Order: sequence, then structure tokens, then C-alpha cells
Amino acid sequence: MSHKLIPPDEPPPFLGTWVRVYQAIVVYLVLLILAFYVFTRIYQ
Amino acid sequence: MRTLDWIVLVASLVSIVAYGLYRSRGSNTVDRYLLAGRSMPWYAMALSIMATQASAITFISTTGQSYVDGMRFVQFYFGLPLAMVVICATVVPIFHNTKVYTAYEYLESRFDAKTRALASVIFLAQRGLSAGLTIYAPALVLSVILGWPERLTTSLMGAVVITYTVLGGIKAVTWSDVQQMGVIFVGLIAALVTTIVLLPHSVSFGDAVFLAGAAGRLNAVTTHFDWNDRFNMWSGLIGGTFLFLSYFGCDQSQVQRYLTGKSISQSRLSLLFNAVAKIPMQFFILFIGAMVFVFYIFVQPPMLFQHAELSRIHGSDAYPQVAAQYNQAFDRRRVAALNLVQAHHDGDPGAEARARSDYRGAQAQLDGARAQASKLVEQNGGEKGFTDTNYIFLSFVTRFLPVGLVGLVIAVIFAATMSASSGEINSLATVTIVDIYKRHFRPGQSDHHYVSASRWATMFWGVYAVMFAGWAGRLGALIVAVNKVGSLFYGSLLGCFVLAFAFRRVRGTAAFLGMIAGESAILATSWFTDVSWLWYNVIGCAAVVAVALTVTYLTPGAASATPGTQPAQ
Repeated sequence: MSHKLIPPDEPPPFLGTWVRVYQAIVVYLVLLILAFYVFTRIYQ
Repeated sequence: MRTLDWIVLVASLVSIVAYGLYRSRGSNTVDRYLLAGRSMPWYAMALSIMATQASAITFISTTGQSYVDGMRFVQFYFGLPLAMVVICATVVPIFHNTKVYTAYEYLESRFDAKTRALASVIFLAQRGLSAGLTIYAPALVLSVILGWPERLTTSLMGAVVITYTVLGGIKAVTWSDVQQMGVIFVGLIAALVTTIVLLPHSVSFGDAVFLAGAAGRLNAVTTHFDWNDRFNMWSGLIGGTFLFLSYFGCDQSQVQRYLTGKSISQSRLSLLFNAVAKIPMQFFILFIGAMVFVFYIFVQPPMLFQHAELSRIHGSDAYPQVAAQYNQAFDRRRVAALNLVQAHHDGDPGAEARARSDYRGAQAQLDGARAQASKLVEQNGGEKGFTDTNYIFLSFVTRFLPVGLVGLVIAVIFAATMSASSGEINSLATVTIVDIYKRHFRPGQSDHHYVSASRWATMFWGVYAVMFAGWAGRLGALIVAVNKVGSLFYGSLLGCFVLAFAFRRVRGTAAFLGMIAGESAILATSWFTDVSWLWYNVIGCAAVVAVALTVTYLTPGAASATPGTQPAQ
């Protein structure tokens, strides 16, 4: 399957590009795990 | 259930179905019936994806899981955002561009007809098994808690689901899912608030969280790695990523949700919404279970939450001793909890450490008594490996929640069952018609013919699910095995799609052999090792890719065959 068939990306409604949105999701996940870790430690 | 509860339950269900059918008017072509004319906005798809994934057992079992084992189950979802990012970047644009109706249709254009057929059959077998259990499992719990006949509950839920799914197709399914998620959110928030309000006046919300944490019920993250432990950060991040890649990238029940999107952008947003919202939602549900745990520190819970099994052991010789131990442990834990809160408020570290130790000792004693009671169930002819986890939350709801709210929580269970079930039978019908019937038996028929066939296929899978649910009670312990079967197929499906997207030299025969090898690897892992099932997807996917690449590079000419370029329909 040629990747030429893929139509050009529509921009996301925020952050300008999809790559930035994906990066934001990964950062969000890291922060979430960190928050859960701190939560666990505080109430352990 | 009192009159107001029935009014809330019936009103919730009727409004869900009526709204779904209203929004599905005009679903009279294959494209509209199966893919909503590719017109859905991102928020509807997002909630539909969430609703399809969350069955009733998710809500019933997750809260019980937290009560018994704490919140570490949330780690299971850590891989979900990563999987969503990968799917948005790779799968979504390709599926949209090729305008496929099913994920497996794409495999024919990339590989060949036999690979598509194998993937379709694997999906039908796996999803077909779980479709019955999706209806049966909550019906079983409702029958035990409320005394409703299982047949009545499965038939009622099945009839409602079949009606709107057959009549309205995917649009009815999606818009009903939106309503169902609304009911689910409202019901869960109300349940949490009420649980907190029901705590003794001397125990603040902060104290409740403190007590849950001291008993190990707020253990959201475990960094220790263990192959055999289902829920730690690493199994969630690695195994979970592969599992959710399989589920959202290769399972038609999910793929069909985002194929209905107006555009690639809308489909991506629907998946990314789940990437952001799913983990907090699961955390919230688990937190409800933790608060139910704290509630039961001050109000004595039954030794077992499944009353029929409690009655079973009531006459046994060992019961009085176990019950006495349980009562003593409960009293000790309640006093220790109050002492711990007092020591915490006083800011006395020495007293707090002593009280904490006593509190945990009492909890261990209580857990020990419950474990002995479970063993007694087994020894007195009960189910092997008996656990009452799935009965904890609904038992609490029916005993302690105010009138009206009980009906709302039961509506949540119904809504979750119907949303998961409708998504399943809708996708089963789509694969049956598009990948099997139209492709192999009756190609070239009119649009009207395929719409009609899709309705009949939906009806067939709906009736099948209800009948399977009615028969599932006779499976006994085999239900566990059947449930496990569902987790045995994803790895090979994922491996096939990884080959399709990432290894352009691999052709149909290599992919087909790879899938068979991957499936064999998963079955061998399941039978001969204790490796947790979350790793099956990693193992299966790796085996598919390794074998397909080996076949590709060892077989002269295998890599030069020309694949099809257009998806067959």
C-alpha cells in the first residue's frame, strides 16, 4: 500500500500540527503516571 | 427496587432507545447503515468508543476489584494513550483513504483473500463468544443481587439492543452510546457522592482517603516488574500498549466506530479524547470502590457478598469459627481505624505508627476470614476459585443507596451492557456481510439487498447473543475459560496488521503462515507457562512478524508477488 494514497493531513483544532498533539498526549501520560505515583506514595 | 427506581430505570432506557432511533432516520443504504454515511462528529464517536469498550462488568467488577485489591488495576490502561497515538498516526488515515467497511477488507488489498478470510473468521469466533457473555455476566449478577430471573434480564436487554441496532444500524448504536455514557457518568458521580455522604459524620472525606490509603487501597502505581503480575506499571505500559493496539486497531467493534467519522481529523479526535479521558475515568471508578471499602469499615459488610453462597456454608461445621473471627476482626478494624484517624489528627507519629500497624493487622485478619469463607464455599460444592468481587458494588448499592439512585445505578448497568452489546452485534453483522457474504457468496447484488442482509445478520447475531447468554449458565467454570479465549486471538491479528503497515515486502502467504504461527505461540504460552495474559499480545505479534519475515526472505519470489491495489468489497 503506497503511502502516497494517504490524503494530506487536516490540521488539528489546537497545537498546530498532529505531531505536537501526539507529543502532548505522551507528556500528559507521563504527568498522569507521575501524579498517580505521588498519590500512591502519599497515601501508602 | 421501589416504584421510583423502576420509573428512573424505564425512563432512562426508553429515552436512550428513542433518541438513538430518532437520530438514525434515513439509514437506508449500506454506507449509511454500516458507516453512518461517514458523517459522525468526533464527540459522538469518542463516547461511542468509550461506551463500546466499557461493558457492565467493567463497572461492577472494577469497583469490587478496588475494594479487594486496591486501585492498581488502573495501570492496565497506561498503554492506551500510546496505542491511540500510534493508531491515529498510522491506521486511521489508511483506513479512511481506502474507504473500507471493515479492517479485514484492507487485508485483502494488502495481502490476499485468504488472509482477509482468516482474520475475519478469527474476529467472528472471538467476538461471537464474548457477545453472549457481555449480556450474560451482568444478568447473572443482577439475578443474584435482585432476584431477577437471568432469562428475563438477558431477554429484556437483548430485545432492546436488537430492536434499535436492527432498525437504526450504526447511527442508532452510536447516538444511543452517547446517551448511555451520559447515564453512566451521572450514575457514577451520584454513587460516589452518596457513598461519601453515607460515611459517619466523624469521618471527613480527607480521613476516608487516608484510611483507604493506609489499608493499601490507593496503590495506583506499582513499579516492581513481574511477568506473572497482571497489574504493574510495566505490564500496563508494554503489554497494555499491544493489547490496545490490537483492540482499537484490529477489532472491528472498535474500528467501525471511527470509520464513521466525517474526516480523518474527526476520527483522530475521537480516539485522542479516549487517550485523555479513559485513565481518569477508570481511576474515578476505582476510587468509588475504595470509598465503598471505607464505608464498610464503619458498617459491617456481609462476610461474603453473594448471599446464596453465604447460605451454602452457613450450616458447615467450620462456619461458626470463621464467622466469629470475621466479627472480631471487623470490630478490631473499626476501633483501629478511629484510633488511626485520631492519631493522625493529633500529629503524633509514634501513636500513628502503632495505630497503623494495628489497623493493617485487623485488615489482614478480616481478609483471612473472608478467604477462609471462600474456601468453605469450594469445600461445600461451590464454584472452584470462588470470588465475590463482582457482587460487592451492587450489593452496596441495593442495600444503602437512596430510592431513585438504585434505579439509576441499575440503569447504568443496563446502559453499559447495551452499549457494549450493540457495538458487538453491529460489528459482527458488518464482518459477516462485507467480508463473508458479499465477498464469497453473493457479490454484485443491489444496495438494498445488502442493507436487508445486514439487518438480518444483525438480528441473527443479536438472537445468538441472547441464546448464548441463556445457555452460558450451564458452562459453569468453563465461562472463565471462554472469557480467556477472547484474549487469545488479538496478538496474531495485531501481528498481521503490523506486517501490512510496516513491512511492505511481506506478501499474503507469509502473512497467513505468520498468523498461524502467532496463534500457536499464544496458545503454547497460555497452556505451558504462567505468563500473564497481558503479554500474549506482545508474544503473538512478535511471532507473526518473525515467521512472516523469515518466510519472506527464505522463499524465492515470495516477496515479489504483486499484491492487489484496491480493497475488494
